[in-house]
Amino acid sequence: MALIELRNISKSFEDTQVLDNFNLTVNENEFITLLGPSGCGKTTTLRIIGGFETPDEGQVFFEGVDITNVPPNKRHLNTVFQKYALFPHMNVEENIAFGLKISGKSDAYIKDKIKYALKLVNLDGFEKRKIDRLSGGQQQRIAMARAIVNEPRVLLLDEPLGALDLKLRQDMQYELIRLKNELGITFIYVTHDQEEALTMSDKVVVMNKGYIQQMGTPEQIYNEPENAFVADFIGDSNIVDGIMVRDKVVKICDTIFPCIDDGFGQNKPVDVVIRPEDLIIGKPGQGHLDGEVVHNVFQGVHYEMEIEAGGFLWLAQNTTSYPVGTKVSLEVEPENIQIMHKPQSEGEEAIEIDV
Amino acid sequence: MKNLKTLYLILILAFLYVPILALMILSFNESKSMAVWSGFSTKWYEEMFSNTLIMEAVWNTFTIALISAAVATIIGTAACIGIQAMRKKTENAIMALNNIPLLNADIVTGISLMMTFLVFGISLSYGTVLLSHITFCLPYVILSVMPKFKQLTGNTYEAALDLGATPWQAFYKVIIPEIKPGIMSGFLLSFTMSVDDFVITHFTRGAGINTISTMIYSQVKVGIRPTLFALSTIIFVVVLIVLVASNMAGNSTNPKVQKGVTAFTTGFVVVLLAGTLVFSGIAGGSGGKEVHVYSYGDYIDPALIEEFEEETGITVVMDTFDTAEEMYPVVKNESVTYDVICTSDYMLEKLMEEDLLAELDYSGIPNIDNMDKRYLELAEGFDPGNKYAVPHTWGSLGILYNTKVIPEGEITSWNDLWKDKYKGRIVMPDSMRDTMAIALKAKGYSLNTTKEAEIAEAIDYLIQQKPLVYKYANDSARDLILGGACDIAVVWNGEVLYTQEENPDLAYVIPKEGSEHFTDAWAMPAAAKHKDAGLAWINFMLEKQTAEVNFDYLTYSIPNVAVIEMNKDNPANMGVLFPPDAVLTKCEALKNLGSEVDDMYTEYWKKFKS
Repeated sequence: MALIELRNISKSFEDTQVLDNFNLTVNENEFITLLGPSGCGKTTTLRIIGGFETPDEGQVFFEGVDITNVPPNKRHLNTVFQKYALFPHMNVEENIAFGLKISGKSDAYIKDKIKYALKLVNLDGFEKRKIDRLSGGQQQRIAMARAIVNEPRVLLLDEPLGALDLKLRQDMQYELIRLKNELGITFIYVTHDQEEALTMSDKVVVMNKGYIQQMGTPEQIYNEPENAFVADFIGDSNIVDGIMVRDKVVKICDTIFPCIDDGFGQNKPVDVVIRPEDLIIGKPGQGHLDGEVVHNVFQGVHYEMEIEAGGFLWLAQNTTSYPVGTKVSLEVEPENIQIMHKPQSEGEEAIEIDV
Repeated sequence: MKNLKTLYLILILAFLYVPILALMILSFNESKSMAVWSGFSTKWYEEMFSNTLIMEAVWNTFTIALISAAVATIIGTAACIGIQAMRKKTENAIMALNNIPLLNADIVTGISLMMTFLVFGISLSYGTVLLSHITFCLPYVILSVMPKFKQLTGNTYEAALDLGATPWQAFYKVIIPEIKPGIMSGFLLSFTMSVDDFVITHFTRGAGINTISTMIYSQVKVGIRPTLFALSTIIFVVVLIVLVASNMAGNSTNPKVQKGVTAFTTGFVVVLLAGTLVFSGIAGGSGGKEVHVYSYGDYIDPALIEEFEEETGITVVMDTFDTAEEMYPVVKNESVTYDVICTSDYMLEKLMEEDLLAELDYSGIPNIDNMDKRYLELAEGFDPGNKYAVPHTWGSLGILYNTKVIPEGEITSWNDLWKDKYKGRIVMPDSMRDTMAIALKAKGYSLNTTKEAEIAEAIDYLIQQKPLVYKYANDSARDLILGGACDIAVVWNGEVLYTQEENPDLAYVIPKEGSEHFTDAWAMPAAAKHKDAGLAWINFMLEKQTAEVNFDYLTYSIPNVAVIEMNKDNPANMGVLFPPDAVLTKCEALKNLGSEVDDMYTEYWKKFKS
């Protein structure tokens, strides 16, 4: 049975509809990430689960029990807030002990738990530290420790790494995966950073304007985006107009490409996604399209180039550098061509993105 | 440059602290005068602690400040919770409304609160002062707590709920500690505003309710006694200690020091309050009968109140005013009812004309026999048949001069004040009717004249005198002559004896043209509720021993046979206190002249002042 289920949730603030008939199921021991640009409704969803917002319509179930109107302090879940929300007038120890004291645990138990939690987040010996003496990363870990000592069934994390610098963020991602595995509880994670989502999650929910755009494993989301929004939001992509001539044949830039998709009908307009690293660059005349390199930037792992070919500016990544002005050809393996329907319904129109 | 900076700093500090230092030093001065240092003494402190009126005022001031600050803090903080949960627009509107009373003039707040109480039939009392103080403190609390709500870090309230706290626990354990600095400063601000307040208290206080500020104000008429310097010194020291303690608590990061200081401050305040309570004698409680007395401030020896209470078992509720004009509307509107009042002749006459006084039942005042008959006859000038009033003090305006500079007997006439040889050595009163009385008498006219020509002549005469006058001053005249700033001062005879004590070379004369005299007398308002107790009070005031004690305290002329007996072997004193009939008959009391003549006087007075 699903651990948490959101059923037909709608929520609006004043005139803005944030969630519209939203449905989501979260299973036991899952690391699920709500991913989307700001204003997509991901934080509101988390706050509804946490009990800080009441939906206008719809219900929230926890193990099959309706908890829509249960106040936050009666729910078996804990939250790590965006800016940690540590209590500034208490030290580390008192912060961590807060929930345990409220629930009336014994002093000895609380002491043990603090020790255990600090060890878990690699901050042994920080008990008496004042909050304002901690770095951002340390505060983040204390916020984690404060939440997990209460042994919640579900941990809600609202962009917990958003305020950290890049290196620390990457370290913390592995830390979070380790924690999740050690604790064996469900994580519901909210972020707008697609890399974070892909690195850590078991399941990614891509959201935009209150609708779910796609739900799946990180691989599915990356490799088989269901629409242009997902494709664009997850990593860099070339999204081109194409015509599905027939099954497994698509025409892009007046050139026929073999592909592996079928079931789109004949001569139907579609969106085509090709990842920049999937473009194979060769000598002129050797590929499907001929073109010229107009831009080249070294990015460490690879060179990122813009290639003008067939009236479209392609984004390509390659470990070999082709200087600006070089005549090249472009080729794509059939399995790396991702075909998508053009948006038709209201929900799908939400993909008209501003990114 | 550096020296200049240091000098500037010293100057600023001097401006701030030298006056306070002077006050502290004067509080230890043996002499009552501000101009003479006659030795170190703690007698004003002793007098202060034994003065139940002062101690009651101190008690009222601090209990009102503490309670109103506490209540306003609680209500204000609760209001902030509501306000910050409002929409932005509503919040701004509410905050704007909150700021209006802050900018509003105190007098408007005071009068409107008084009107509100009276309209709803709430009689003015300690409670109305308390309510008023809570009302005007509220905006200050909201103003200092609100920003703290705005500064709350992140979602700490939600974090607390998330960790299992109930909304109340979350508020108590997380929000309160975070907004505590705002709450504390709101409380302290309210406390000081309440202690400082005069205007609002003045309008909303009931019978016998005085705070330090209203009490000091009501004593201005007879001159501020050094007991108030002692009181001010103690208040300053107390505030200093509390300030230093709270600063120590604020700066120290050691929680033990913080706790220690908090405990110390709390204990200090408790001890202080307990002390005032004991000294004020409020703790004793009052049993049954009461008499409400309304008088000029500091016009009887406070020790007599206790004596009266012991003797009769009647509790005295004492209330004071500064000017007769201030007393008049209170008695007329019965906003507070009094059983006995003490005020001046012309005001008593006005009250009689308006039927606001009760006829005295002399069977309750057997001590009337102790009153000197001459002064009862004088009182008939405003109270024919002595039906309504019994004299308390008598006074006349005269000239005090320094015999070291001016041979004794050289000054006999008001016109001597116009002599060039005294140029720059003369102090004249600065009070329209009194100052004009001098010129009118000098010219041989009545000081109650209604003839414009005479008034004009008197004013011209005063203008002519201007270059000779060192200063126009009322209460400070005695200190000016004691300090040697002048050699001639026009003063009331009540000031003379004690000024002569400080400087025996001073001589006093009532000029031969006659002078202005006044009688302040006890009377009973028609609305009095405890008439028997009122009569008992008047009778007590006429007791020989009471008159003697009062005379020692005030050194005013008290026309009681016992006081005359005390002084009869001292002709100089007799001349000052109880001048012979020949002098008395030339003296006149001020009369109400009607608004038209009043306006005329004011017009000419303005001409003189400009």
